Amino acid sequence: MTRKSMKAALEAMMFTWGEPLPAKIAAEVFNEDWKEVYQCFQELKQEYEDQERGLRVREVDKAFQFVTSPDYADYIERLCTPVKKRKLSQSALEVLAIIAYRQPVTKGEIDSIRGIKSDRVMEGLLNKELVREVGRTNGIGRPILYGTTDEFLKYFGFSSIKELPEIDDIELAIHTEEGEAQPDPRQIRIEMSSLEEGENGND
Amino acid sequence: MSYKVRMKMFEGPFDLLVYLIENAEMSIYDIEVSQITKQYFEYIDEMDELDVTVATEFMVLAATLIEIKAKMLLPRFNEEGEPVMEEDPRKELVTRLLEYKRFKRASEMLATAEEENRRIYPKPQEDISQYVEQPEEFLSMDLNQFIQAFHLFLLKKQKLEEIRREYQRVERERMTIDQRVRYIQELFQSAGITSLPFGKLLAKKNRYDAAVTFASILEMIKENQVDAHQSKPFEEIMVEKLSDEERERRIAINEASKKMIGEMGS
Repeated sequence: MTRKSMKAALEAMMFTWGEPLPAKIAAEVFNEDWKEVYQCFQELKQEYEDQERGLRVREVDKAFQFVTSPDYADYIERLCTPVKKRKLSQSALEVLAIIAYRQPVTKGEIDSIRGIKSDRVMEGLLNKELVREVGRTNGIGRPILYGTTDEFLKYFGFSSIKELPEIDDIELAIHTEEGEAQPDPRQIRIEMSSLEEGENGND
Repeated sequence: MSYKVRMKMFEGPFDLLVYLIENAEMSIYDIEVSQITKQYFEYIDEMDELDVTVATEFMVLAATLIEIKAKMLLPRFNEEGEPVMEEDPRKELVTRLLEYKRFKRASEMLATAEEENRRIYPKPQEDISQYVEQPEEFLSMDLNQFIQAFHLFLLKKQKLEEIRREYQRVERERMTIDQRVRYIQELFQSAGITSLPFGKLLAKKNRYDAAVTFASILEMIKENQVDAHQSKPFEEIMVEKLSDEERERRIAINEASKKMIGEMGS
């Protein structure tokens, strides 16, 4: 099987499948080494990006699916007014950030970092399947350990947990801004969103 | 009544403290504890005034701030009266605040990723059952649907039994006496014998058929076509087809007796 026809076959399979198609399952179909198939998926992904297609190939933990390009979101919204889900709350994002970078992590550690209890927030995140129980520690009371899910990767558009920006880089950003007059980060966001609205208005 | 332009809500005590420090343009490594503590308490009082329930966690940090403030006001001396170089009492708080800020930054990064990703539309899992062989279709029925179907089946069965118990099936009378007479005549002819038990004349083994057949036999006896005998009560009735000569003889006798009865009556 040529590389070209394998990639074409992967496109056909992704189209039929819908949900992220694991490279391992695709490899079984071809009876090929999965790394070879994974490579093909990666190349396909790159090709769609290079050609600036309306469809893109998205990776979610070594599985691939077709999604739309964010550049054409406006047209989809005009076509079918998709239901926008509510955004996550500030506290939910804080808890998620801690779990994402510290996993596996206990609720106690999360509460200690935030300085406030996170039970309600955790419940919501578990219901949304953005986090899950991954085991228990050997400590007193054997508290539950939590980790992120594939749903988390999909929701934020990360192909794997390794793709998260290094937390030390984020910390570095804090250091460099040290001593500068630091406006409220919430205000920055308001400015950015109003800028985006202005751009959309020019369309 | 006072009018509040804005009341910021904070995710937790650290969120509030980080905001106050940044707002005061203070370095996180050199917090002016007395100023920050004052502002922190002002905020908590404000929340109180607005009847916002102040979480206990906010009070815990308030206590920590007072403790740090006290330590900084009272330098420690050893027994010889020399000042003891102690760790900065703010150090632990700074470490925790920095830790919190790291994750707050990370959460802002996630918020940006969330916003970007909301502009991407995936396709949900396709229903591929139409490409799959038949047996899979049975599996595609979910348990609730299956239970419902079975329940419906039971209900139908129960209803049917109820009807059967309460009502009887009514059939149109398919055979008249005339038709049955012809049928019996044909039966004798095709069998080629002159005598048959009553049971053999029945087309169906039901009450109606027996009644029609019995009435037909009576009619045939009257017309001198057949004769019937029963040796004992409840024994099988034997029906005998009369020969043409016998029939004519009986008709002659009948007419003669009618004539005699008529003459006697007049």
